[in-house]
Amino acid sequence: MVLVEGKNISFSYDFDDSSFALQGVDIAIEQGEFVVILGCNGSGKSTLVKHFNALLRLQHGELRVAQIDVKNEEEIWLLRRLCGMVFQNPDNQFVSSVVEEDIAFGLENYETPRREIPERVQSALALVEMGGYEKRAPNTLSGGQKQRVALAGVLALEPEIIIFDEATAMLDPGGRQEVAKIMRKLHRAGKTIIAITHYVEEAVAADKVILMAQGRVLASGSPKAILTDLDLMKEAGMLLPLPVRLYYDLRQAGVHLNHCPLTDEELVEEICQLRSKS
Amino acid sequence: MKTLPTGQYIPGDSFLHQLEARAKISCLFLLIAAVLGASSFWGYALVLATISTLLLLSGLPIRGAVAPVRRISWFLLIILLMNALFFEGEAVLASWGIFHLSRGGIEQGFRVVGNLVLILILGNLLTMTTLPTQVTTALESLIKPLKLIGVPTEEVAIIISVAIQFIPTLLEETELIKMTQIARGARFESKKLSERAASFLPLVVPIFISSFRRAEELSLAMEARGYRKARNRTKPKKAPLAPADYTALIVCALICLIQLLWRG
Repeated sequence: MVLVEGKNISFSYDFDDSSFALQGVDIAIEQGEFVVILGCNGSGKSTLVKHFNALLRLQHGELRVAQIDVKNEEEIWLLRRLCGMVFQNPDNQFVSSVVEEDIAFGLENYETPRREIPERVQSALALVEMGGYEKRAPNTLSGGQKQRVALAGVLALEPEIIIFDEATAMLDPGGRQEVAKIMRKLHRAGKTIIAITHYVEEAVAADKVILMAQGRVLASGSPKAILTDLDLMKEAGMLLPLPVRLYYDLRQAGVHLNHCPLTDEELVEEICQLRSKS
Repeated sequence: MKTLPTGQYIPGDSFLHQLEARAKISCLFLLIAAVLGASSFWGYALVLATISTLLLLSGLPIRGAVAPVRRISWFLLIILLMNALFFEGEAVLASWGIFHLSRGGIEQGFRVVGNLVLILILGNLLTMTTLPTQVTTALESLIKPLKLIGVPTEEVAIIISVAIQFIPTLLEETELIKMTQIARGARFESKKLSERAASFLPLVVPIFISSFRRAEELSLAMEARGYRKARNRTKPKKAPLAPADYTALIVCALICLIQLLWRG
């Protein structure tokens, strides 16, 4: 089932439509898919996903998310429950100085009965592996932990779609791994994951990669098809993943691997095959 | 991590820690009234005894509880001098131009400073034994009657909660901006007052700008989690007051009453 379906979406931050942040974007995301939207700063990826939960008003085109027309003002509220979002800066999304109260914020907005709240806060914390941190102040946590708490606040509402709007951009490698691990776990549990990033390594494990540049979708397809395409990635201003770069460098030096590897493991495998051949 | 400068919550399980925040805030107001109402020797003896008892009941180190008094000692000294020199009382001891040092003035000065110190210690006792969030929830329920005259009490409560949550973040940011400015030659540590004052302006502007940016991001994050103004949210927990809370309220009300009777 198609969960996000957009046609010809255009958007401008200027009053007079003098320059467009999005230009004629078509998009389709299936239920349960793990989609990575990849692009440089200013490519329009963040602007695009802010349409999915109607944080930005659709100006041109059509967009339906979870069968809801995002232009329908009446259903925006329901839409935001079904489509949760974790933002880039962990420090700018907390409303309370106690973890459990912050997670309860969304539940309170949806008038969840008071007696149900503690249990839902607990299970959300367990999902992000932060049990035992209920009484802590968010500012005493590490970057990765903060993002996991912010994610717990979103998960407490039991959304269908979870959008990570560059949620790992401000984290150190350890923190990025923590968040990536939880992303994969949620995907396995059947959630639809949409992650925005400019780290090409994070796109390797996705079901689908959507490559954006200058407000347009350049290409969309499997990580293998997108991330190994030298010209396409160059056009988007992205660096190739290390194994892919190595594959092309080796080829230039006259060493031909059978397949272009995406991960370190695949690279090792290819090199081993090369050895056994020679 | 940055900590709050004074009056920061210190975890504990003393009698004062366990009282309900609503009861503690109401008691604070009653005791402030008692301090302001004290006029005789016995009146002050009563408030002093009350505050000493509270200090003992709080289980806090005395040094921590009176720290904010030391912090503003210069300010207190100025208040004392202003009262002593400008108060127009009888029994003038000496005059220089517009200044008159009188017995009444000195008494008045000591009374004002004494009241300030006592109120400061009381306020400090509240914040050191109560979590900021408990203070917020308590304030929210105490200001509820203001809803009748059109004050958006739920919104005010959220604003207070968000403001408290952002204090450490903004302190950290201030420190960072200060360092970047020092690295470029700002002189926050200069002995010259004019240089120090001038160096603070370039600090204020970036902090303002970044606060606005943070506020904008936060409002997006709040909307994304379904926050809508003018909409019913789940009502906060209604914790009934315990017998200890009622006892504390009655004792404080009695102290306040005795004070007013002695005065009258």
